[in-house]
Amino acid sequence: MAAIEKYNQAFVEVFGVKESALNDHFSKDNMKEWDSVHQLNIVAFLEEAFDIMLEPEDIMNMTSYEEGKTILARYNIEF
Amino acid sequence: MILNIDKHEVGSIAVIDSAGNELSYGGLVEFSEELVKVIPVRSVVFLLAGNDTGGIAWSIGLINNGIIPLLLNSQTDKDLFENLYAIYRPAFLCVPAEGAVEYGFECKTERWGYALLETGNKRYPVYEELSHLLPTSGSTGSPKLVRHSFENIEASALNISTFFNLKAGDRPLLVLPLYYTMGLSVVFSHLYVGATILVTNLSMTQREFWMFLKEKKATSFTGVPYSFEILRLMRFFKMDLPDLELLTQGGGKLSRELNLQFVEYTQKTGKRWIATYGQTEGTARMAYLSPEFAMSKCGSIGRAIPNGELFLIDEKGSVVEECNREGELCYRGRNVTLGYALKKEDLALGDERNGFLRTGDLAYRDEDGFYYIVGRIGRFLKLFGMRVGLDECEHIIKSRYPIDCACMGTDERMQVYITDPKYKESVKDELVGKTKLVASAFEIKVLPEIPKSKVGKILYSKLI
Repeated sequence: MAAIEKYNQAFVEVFGVKESALNDHFSKDNMKEWDSVHQLNIVAFLEEAFDIMLEPEDIMNMTSYEEGKTILARYNIEF
Repeated sequence: MILNIDKHEVGSIAVIDSAGNELSYGGLVEFSEELVKVIPVRSVVFLLAGNDTGGIAWSIGLINNGIIPLLLNSQTDKDLFENLYAIYRPAFLCVPAEGAVEYGFECKTERWGYALLETGNKRYPVYEELSHLLPTSGSTGSPKLVRHSFENIEASALNISTFFNLKAGDRPLLVLPLYYTMGLSVVFSHLYVGATILVTNLSMTQREFWMFLKEKKATSFTGVPYSFEILRLMRFFKMDLPDLELLTQGGGKLSRELNLQFVEYTQKTGKRWIATYGQTEGTARMAYLSPEFAMSKCGSIGRAIPNGELFLIDEKGSVVEECNREGELCYRGRNVTLGYALKKEDLALGDERNGFLRTGDLAYRDEDGFYYIVGRIGRFLKLFGMRVGLDECEHIIKSRYPIDCACMGTDERMQVYITDPKYKESVKDELVGKTKLVASAFEIKVLPEIPKSKVGKILYSKLI
């Protein structure tokens, strides 16, 4: 599976949204339900899918669909 | 005053929240005296309390005056809120001031960020010992409430502060909501000893949360299994937190692996780790595992809390005397609540339990007297530490879609069986919307039909 598919899958699973709903505006500020449980679940999905371990700083910054890609780039994941 | 709040030093701080508000013990006493002038005693009030100073001030202020709050999640779904409102007809609502206009009621007063709204509903008879009400399920908006007494409050505060060894110098960090029994018990037990509660609505993945914990020098943290998953993910074990002295866990069973990690961490750093067991019906805690047994009895809920008694009964209702045999866990103590309410008339009911509670949990006791939970008789799950009623979820689905369904599962994930693939997405959306849980907590499966007995009862055993 391509990186972007794996990445999208995490959001689809955690938020129960369609892949088409994922865009640059998909963020904590725009999503009422985006709480720590959702955020941590995304982190857990991504860590498993990409076999990585995020630093606490990156976990705290995982607050949007867009930002997540930037964070993963630091773990050598290319989209 | 309840919990001896007026016996503590007037100037000492009772509550600090992460928005920067502070409330002293003297301030709490004054606020309580103020409230009695605006609300008639024995009124029922829906209190949509957030995790802030105001939430605690209003909870305590109301209860102390013999005004009966039903504590609710301030994020409660609108339909569910209206359903509860129609059933219990509260005379007042106490809601976050921001957005209070939307209710369309007259605002009687505004204090600590909350507006008190008068609904015009008539008061009705309630039992004299009734102190407050909590939902049985914080998320599904079930109308089933747990009726608490003033004695429950005092007893649980005394018991809990005794086995945790709480003292005035403690600064517990409260992240659990007030409408959740364990969150409220943190408040009761700490106000009782004159401690300073650090309350926050910040998410544990926010930088500000960790700043609050460190700057305000929190000495204890209470969480549900999921809170400890978060701590681990946030690399808690590597943090330097010298003030944090006590970690307490409740709200369901922690995985053995995670449990041992915390045992090891606390032993290495000289902190205390205390696993507990409780239910709303028992005003939170009923059992706890002493730190010295955290390793050797890992996975056990421990023994009864001080002034309480645990025992097991078999299917016939006789007490199970021998060890290592399963039975239904029962508890006796003054923290056992009065009973349930399903409608407003039930608030006039007296004590239906007389200090005795069948927990609905299956357990056994080992040769040293330690109890272990093995399963559940009741139809509910604890997803992310929150009790979610399976029957209520079935009701949510059936009342929205023309399909049959059955819900079951584990504390990790709920399986929802439906009969029409067309509704797969929408059923999930509806459950997520109503319960506010993570979508991955629900797995929707499609079956040609739901297996049922001759009398039409769902055969859950055939679903696996």
